[in-house]
Amino acid sequence: MRRLILAVLTVFVVHPATATEFNPQIEGMIDGYIRPATEQFAETAARLPAAVTAVCETPDAQSKDGFKTALSETIGAFSKIHFLRYGPLLDEDRLSRLAFLPDPRGITQRQMRKVLAARDKEVHSAADLADKSVAVQGLTALELIAFSKTSEVVLGEDPFTCGYALAISENVAAMAEAVAAGWTDPGGYSAVLLTAGAGNPRFQTSKEALENLFNSLVTGLIIARDQDVLPALGASRAKAKPNRFPFSRSGNSVTFISGELDGIRQALSSLGLEGLTPEDFTWIFGGLDFEFANAQALLDQLERPLRQSFEEEGTYAKVEVLAIALKSIRDTMALELAGALELAGGFNSLDGD
Amino acid sequence: MATNHSPLSRRGFLAALGSLAASSVFPGTPLAESLIGRETTDGVPLFASAFKLENGDYGVGIVDDLGQILARISLPGRGHGIAVSPDGTRLVAFARRPGTFAVVVRPFDEAEPQVLTADPGRHYYGHGCFSADGRLLYAVENDFDKARGVVGVYDMSGREIRKLGELETNGIGPHDLLLAPDGKTLIVANGGIKTHPDRAREKLNLDTMTPSVAFLDRETGDLLAEHRLSKDLHQLSLRHMALDGQGRAWVGGQFEGPDTETPPLVGIFSRDEVPVLTDIPGKTASGLQNYIGSVTANASGDVIATSAPRGGQTLFWNAASGDFLGAQTIADGCGVAPIDQGSFLISDGNGALSLVTDPEAPAEILARPPGISWDNHMFALT
Repeated sequence: MRRLILAVLTVFVVHPATATEFNPQIEGMIDGYIRPATEQFAETAARLPAAVTAVCETPDAQSKDGFKTALSETIGAFSKIHFLRYGPLLDEDRLSRLAFLPDPRGITQRQMRKVLAARDKEVHSAADLADKSVAVQGLTALELIAFSKTSEVVLGEDPFTCGYALAISENVAAMAEAVAAGWTDPGGYSAVLLTAGAGNPRFQTSKEALENLFNSLVTGLIIARDQDVLPALGASRAKAKPNRFPFSRSGNSVTFISGELDGIRQALSSLGLEGLTPEDFTWIFGGLDFEFANAQALLDQLERPLRQSFEEEGTYAKVEVLAIALKSIRDTMALELAGALELAGGFNSLDGD
Repeated sequence: MATNHSPLSRRGFLAALGSLAASSVFPGTPLAESLIGRETTDGVPLFASAFKLENGDYGVGIVDDLGQILARISLPGRGHGIAVSPDGTRLVAFARRPGTFAVVVRPFDEAEPQVLTADPGRHYYGHGCFSADGRLLYAVENDFDKARGVVGVYDMSGREIRKLGELETNGIGPHDLLLAPDGKTLIVANGGIKTHPDRAREKLNLDTMTPSVAFLDRETGDLLAEHRLSKDLHQLSLRHMALDGQGRAWVGGQFEGPDTETPPLVGIFSRDEVPVLTDIPGKTASGLQNYIGSVTANASGDVIATSAPRGGQTLFWNAASGDFLGAQTIADGCGVAPIDQGSFLISDGNGALSLVTDPEAPAEILARPPGISWDNHMFALT
């Protein structure tokens, strides 16, 4: 009996010293969420150039619908990965180039106006476009040239814009492909996450790597509420600005916000944190399921496009409740769950000065 | 290498970006592009802050009033405060304690950054300031074997930077310092916490700590005045400061005592008056975790902002009356810089730069450059 206790103790002492203790959770998210989600984004983005070409060759109802669908699917897939703000999505500044967000002061619009006024032919090549300002390269720029203020497809009316839209869609497809490839590569950022230790310049321990993944989900929730929802709500209903919802021009705001919420939920689930959580705190997961479902139910009730439906009775109030629900999910994750797992949180609040 | 640029020209600044961009961590980013669409680059308010990149690298970023990053300068380690020369042409980015480097940058010139290293037996505490004529740099330093705070005095006027000497701060753990409006007096916040680089960031004297705000003659080092808190507040580490329009130092503290208490965290100190501690409304106070991260005044010095990153809030104060004006919720928000009389730019650990013009209305997130965590402090360059 004595020997057995010693054996258990030994395991206990050695175990926390290994740098890879949390690798199963990290692998869970890489294999269970990040790889499939980035592949999905690459697949949807790959269909975008053909949809642009079709609408530009024959701008009829069918091709316009096809383009709308392709763009919606791409934005939906992008919404599920944009909060993975590390590794392949940061390389070559891809995240900003894929979508220049937030942009409350209309930097994209101002830069776009110059591109269009100058009829700058360089924007007709995805390769040349990649050297332009990040604001005019991606999905937010495509939405601006392809849709009217009232969310109708206007692409196909102007050959210059068509050439530019094709270059953007090819640029987006190439970046989406590169992001997926970066995550597939076993020697890529996944290796950085999974080889914590003395030789790893980024992560000393797998706990740090896990914190990085976990905190990105919390940041994703901050973005969803503070950046994607609150600016549209404004200080009051009279000051509401529905055009501030991300991708509101193309009628994809609900798709985007639903996608980011669902993505964060799936990513959290893929981490499999239940097994690490002390029993006293496992209620948190049930609570989170409930809160995610509430927020999603609110989103499902919103009429699309939100830009047009925002004036309708009850819509503003639903979005207000959505903001509360998002805050509640964030607090449950950042305070309760991070606390239960003893994960370190925000950069400035961590060990300030 | 240095050419004869007009010292305040934004064109010169943009020209210099070429050389800075070469050492940038994001070489693919067209840095100057963010200014496309602006009528003129002259007169654009600029701000500087230390940051951490997702890949673990550290640096200083220069951003405009739309939150767009115009330049990045690499640092050898984590930065903290930045001393800005009175004419706005030079920045000195200090290492976070107990770091030993300070990087001198002239962003408007084509000049390589210069690296200052603390003397043996010293490390920087993370803050510094210039003399009114810009010739001298003052840096708070730790003489750690003797556990005493000093102000290192550096001559910045020549090609090589020379340390001229040291002044006693008359306290332990000096954290922030300011030049008073008279140009003759240095105001030092002695945080009171004893640390030693051999024991990293461990706090060694929490039971006996006695923070103070000291007023020093910048030439002789004479102690002109010093203020300590009452005994029951001896664990309120006095750390960050800003001057209001009347020349008084607003000081933000971090309480090292029991977290069940909610002591005052913000005080107003002047040389010849008894310090005044402000009242934080109970509901707000309980959520701050007794921690103020930075203190800033608006351009006219009549509004003071104090950030509380652990509580995710920034508090605003009427400088004249000491009244609490309201709080703005910004997750992990810490760096605060004045844009003008009526607005502040707030940076946070999630990369966002937010504009606050009214404590009652939601902050406007201007930008969120991916992969960046803004560090504790942000400074206006102009």
